[in-house]
Amino acid sequence: MAMIETDMTLERLSELVDAYGASALRWPTGERAGAETLLARSAEARALVARAADLDRLLDMAPHEAPSADLVARIMAARPRAASGQVVSIRTAGRSPWRAVARAVWPYGSPAFPAGALAASIMLGIGLGVLAPSTLSTLGLTTTVATSSATTGTGDQLVSLALAENDYPEEWKQ
Amino acid sequence: MNDASDDELVARVALGDEAACGLLVDRHLTRMLALARRMLGNQADAEEVAQEVFLRVWTHASRWEPGRAQFGTWLHRVATNLCLDRLRRHGTEDIDSIPEPVSDDPTPHEELEQSDLARRVEMALQTLPARQRAAVTLTHYQGLTNIEAAETLGVSVEAVESLLGRARRQLRLALATERDEWLRKTRV
Repeated sequence: MAMIETDMTLERLSELVDAYGASALRWPTGERAGAETLLARSAEARALVARAADLDRLLDMAPHEAPSADLVARIMAARPRAASGQVVSIRTAGRSPWRAVARAVWPYGSPAFPAGALAASIMLGIGLGVLAPSTLSTLGLTTTVATSSATTGTGDQLVSLALAENDYPEEWKQ
Repeated sequence: MNDASDDELVARVALGDEAACGLLVDRHLTRMLALARRMLGNQADAEEVAQEVFLRVWTHASRWEPGRAQFGTWLHRVATNLCLDRLRRHGTEDIDSIPEPVSDDPTPHEELEQSDLARRVEMALQTLPARQRAAVTLTHYQGLTNIEAAETLGVSVEAVESLLGRARRQLRLALATERDEWLRKTRV
C-alpha cells in the first residue's frame, strides 16, 4: 500500500486526468488507489481533476438516440431461422462424422488440401499401375504422368481437387 | 433465458432461436448504435453500421467459440473497425456536411440550447482524427478499460493513452467557448 501511495505523483496524475478524464472509474485499475490517495491529501490534485470534470460533462452532452423500431425490425428480419439453409447446413456440417474424422487426422485447419492430395495420389497410383512397366521404362516419368492424367478422364478434376481450387464442398474449406 | 450469458445466447442464435436473437439485440444494440453515432456523427450511418454488426453476429454465430473472447469486446471491435473502414473509404470527413448548430443567438428555450450545445460537442468530436475519436468513444462513452480499448484498436495501452491525451487536448481547445458558456449558466 505504501508503494502505491508514493508511486503516484502530481505529474502522473495530470497525465491520467488528461487522458482518461476526471472519473477514477476510467483510470487504469493499477493506478487508481494511488491516485485517490494523492487526491485525498493534495488540493492541487483535486484542482486538476475538477478542470477535467468540466470537459467530461461537456462530452456527456453529445447527442444520442435510441435505436428506432425500424432498425430493430430490420435486424430481426435478417436473423438466422431454424429452417434456413445456411444455419442448418453449417450446424449439420459441424456434426458430420466426416468432419470429426477429418479433424482427428488433420487438426491443422481445413482438411481440403490433404484430402485432395490423397485423392490425387491414389489416382496417380492407379494410372501408373494401368500402364505396363515396360512403358515406364521406355518413357520419362513426366510423360507418363501427363498421359495418365489425360487418359483417366477424371484427371483434371483430380488436379483441381488436389489444389482445392473449385467445385469443392464449401464446408470443407471452412 | 434472461440471465443466460452472451455465449449461451449466441449458441442459440446459431440454432435460429428468435428469443435469443431478440435478447442479444436488447442487450447490445443501443451501445453499438451509440458507438457508431460518436464515430460517424450522424444517425443514418450509425444505424447502417449497427445493422451490419448484427448481420455479422447472425452470420458467424455457429462458429463462435465460447470463452475465446468476450462477446461484448468482439462486438466493439467489429463496430469500431466498420466505422474506421467507412471513414477511410469516404476519405477525410467532410466537416461541412455536419449540420451547423442551430444558432449563436440566445434562445428562450432551454431545451433548444441544450440540443445546440450537444450538436457543438458532436461537431468537436467529428474534428478529431478517426483513431483519436475511436479512443475517446471506447473509453469515455462506451466505458471500456484502457486494456479493452487497446485490444479493440489493436494497439498498446500506452498508445491508447497517447491517443486519448491528444484527443482531449484538442477537445478542450475546440470546446473552450462552450465550456465558458456552460459554466456561466450552471454556476451563476
